Amino acid sequence: MTRYLRLLGLQLRTSALLAAQYRFDFFVDAAISLFWTATAVVPLFVVYGEETRPGIPGWSFGEALVVTACFILLQGVLDGAINPGLQAVIDHIRKGTLDFVLLKPADAQFLVSTSRFMLWRVFSLVTSGIVFGIAFHQIGHGPSVLGVLTALVLFAVATLLLYSLWILIISAAFIVVKVDNLTYLFSSIFDAARWPSSVFRGAVKFFFTFVIPLAVMTTFPAEALLGRLAPMTLVSSIGGAFVFAAVARRIWLRSIGHYTSAGG
Amino acid sequence: MKTFAALRAIPTLLKIGFSEAVAYRAEMLVWVFATTMPLIMMMLWTTVAEASPVVGQGGKQWGSGAFVAYFLSVFIVRQLISAWAAWEINFEVRQGMLSMRLLRPMHPVLSFAMSNLAYMPMRAVVTLPVFAILLVTELSRMTAQWQVWLLWPLALIGGWLITFFANVAIGSLSFFIDSSIKIMDVWLAAFFVFSGYLFPLELFPEWLRIAAQWLPFRYQIGLPVELMTGQLTVEAALPLLARQYTWAGLMVVASLLLWRSGIKRFQAFGG
Amino acid sequence: MIRLSGLRKHYRVHKRPPGLKAALKSLFKREYEIVKAVDGIDFSISPGERVGFLGPNGAGKTTTLKMASGLLHPTSGEVTVDGHTPQKRENEFLKKIMLVMGQKQQLMWDLPPADTYELNRAIYDVPRADFTKRLKELTELLELGELVTKPTRQLSLGERMKCELAGALIHGPKVLFLDEPTIGLDVSMQVAMRDFIRRYNEEHGATLILTSHYMDDVAALCPRVIVIDKGALSFDGKLEDLVTQVRPEKRLTLRFSAPVSREQVAELGTIVKHEPAQAVLLVKQSAMNAAVAKALATLPVQDLNVENPPLEEVMSELFSRSRAAREVA
Repeated sequence: MTRYLRLLGLQLRTSALLAAQYRFDFFVDAAISLFWTATAVVPLFVVYGEETRPGIPGWSFGEALVVTACFILLQGVLDGAINPGLQAVIDHIRKGTLDFVLLKPADAQFLVSTSRFMLWRVFSLVTSGIVFGIAFHQIGHGPSVLGVLTALVLFAVATLLLYSLWILIISAAFIVVKVDNLTYLFSSIFDAARWPSSVFRGAVKFFFTFVIPLAVMTTFPAEALLGRLAPMTLVSSIGGAFVFAAVARRIWLRSIGHYTSAGG
Repeated sequence: MKTFAALRAIPTLLKIGFSEAVAYRAEMLVWVFATTMPLIMMMLWTTVAEASPVVGQGGKQWGSGAFVAYFLSVFIVRQLISAWAAWEINFEVRQGMLSMRLLRPMHPVLSFAMSNLAYMPMRAVVTLPVFAILLVTELSRMTAQWQVWLLWPLALIGGWLITFFANVAIGSLSFFIDSSIKIMDVWLAAFFVFSGYLFPLELFPEWLRIAAQWLPFRYQIGLPVELMTGQLTVEAALPLLARQYTWAGLMVVASLLLWRSGIKRFQAFGG
Repeated sequence: MIRLSGLRKHYRVHKRPPGLKAALKSLFKREYEIVKAVDGIDFSISPGERVGFLGPNGAGKTTTLKMASGLLHPTSGEVTVDGHTPQKRENEFLKKIMLVMGQKQQLMWDLPPADTYELNRAIYDVPRADFTKRLKELTELLELGELVTKPTRQLSLGERMKCELAGALIHGPKVLFLDEPTIGLDVSMQVAMRDFIRRYNEEHGATLILTSHYMDDVAALCPRVIVIDKGALSFDGKLEDLVTQVRPEKRLTLRFSAPVSREQVAELGTIVKHEPAQAVLLVKQSAMNAAVAKALATLPVQDLNVENPPLEEVMSELFSRSRAAREVA
């Protein structure tokens, strides 16, 4: 265990070195972060733009903004910690160099998923903080301590879910030949998480709750912060996420077994 | 003479590009499926409009059906105006593969354009079912003026020109900086907000709407979609088309200038 | 055909020292240094010549080839190729040349090579009749057969390289720059490529510059070699002359019918190896005839063999000498 922690530390250090080399990226990432925040928030201003507009049923402007803030936070996790690793694996598969990773005497899943981080993306913590601030200012009161704690637990659950989804996508990458655009597909589906899940109806709602559990990632933490999450939902979210992760790990192990290198 | 030879090569370029598109059909489908945003926005807005229609700046009442027509049109237009040369140029510059392209007696931008355009037939095929759904369910909300339908392809071509040459311009930045793709992300963020991709521009507050008029983005998506969905008459559309082609012209000039100075730098520093 | 005079290429590169602290420091202040990749090279090559271009890694070979093919601008000096200035990248010029890089490919990965050929036909504006004739000829010479209709990704490295070469020649270039064309190929494939390149040169009178890590390529193909080192020309002439210059000795192998002592052999030259029944010696070229005569006259020689030192050895000696010189400096 400590060995893996040390490895993680080393990988983070390498990423920090890389991040320092591309100094221009810092400013670009900050700008992008602000821009994406704007694109995440502007639609809300349009939806709630005028007094006469009804908005999203069951969500006031401030409450919807809390969901957006959760979304920005998780998008930072996705772009900073999850997508770069996915890209690294895809590069490995394309060049046929994944063999080198598999030859190393450490868990392959651990190695590939910690191989690359985009550290400048921590900036989205700042922007999501700003949006949280505006949201609770709108609502008129802050979240309760219990609400914050529950939300933190749910963020951990959300990260676990994102990570498991990521593992599933990589497993798919072993089978499909051209996978360059899977990261793009992943982020574009994740985009749906910027809205409260009550927007979706019927089959789509089912899909975003159970198949790709976007509702668990942003809507539930927001509801926890707003103090209206049912305890049962919290328990089943945690349970569901662990099942999801276990299934993902099984599938990963199976596809590693089937993997044939692209080289030769 | 030189341009004539280049023109003669175009059919072959398109033909080979099309074979490549066929070889990468699965990949292209993933891209198409990744264009989920208009559909998500459609769900959002129909939910919002359920209780009572949303009133736009012009006083138009946007009910669920209007949103369905609008966003399905957005989906179709997005497929038909797309270009990805920025990523290709960035990749080739970083991998040093651009050298192979530079050795050929043909302007690389032309070959990028042809390979991007060669995907269009396949993309058009993908949009057909969406078109069918649109016509079956929301026919009454599409424009009935045939003159407008004549302008529509023009607006699509204009939209594609802006998209493609913006791609070339941003791709050319790869010659100068490592992270031109991030600039592309910024461009895309602005594109999403101001193009009419996330919501009809009519729903924008006044000042944002004016800003959108002066930015290139709405001429990529908004204009063709507004033509399809009957929001524009021929008279109203013509000045907008003029602006669109002005933007297209500016993009061509800007991107070719950037490309040229980029190539100079590439030749000075090597790839 | 090709003429280089006073050709220089200097780069300014950013120093990136290792370590986190240094990396953080370089966020704010960067240090640069000038790298002289090519530092004053002159030579000229006549039409139809085959020239081997040699030098240790980083000597500036690829940089020079890139300048000659218009991919890089010289810092100073001049290149002309068949009257053109490469850096202008005129279409007329580009149609006359081709640069083949063993490590980079132009074939489209997921399409058969035939499609790339067709694309090149259009881009180089090759008349259909010429194209068909040339493709047929290349298919026969390179024994391509069915390969051109299989997707490139399904071809082996050697097959791919053959198809790559055919693609580079489809427009009938008059000047061919070959940068490591046989890298990674097995020996029989290397031989096949060499034969092909020589035949192409002889039949079409194309001018050819070749860089290769495999000295056998150069020995088999290039009557003339140009050696550059640290960006400067260090030899230009016949391959044999280069060998004589670096290694004035030849290798003399003697096999005896009766044991011969070390002292007896030592009179002939420098001993490399001595066994009672066999000896290997290094003998100066000029002294070789006398040494052979003396051996035959005074020793129980059963078998005798004179050979040039292996080229790889010559080259590694040449390059290690230059490295030593660099370290002293």
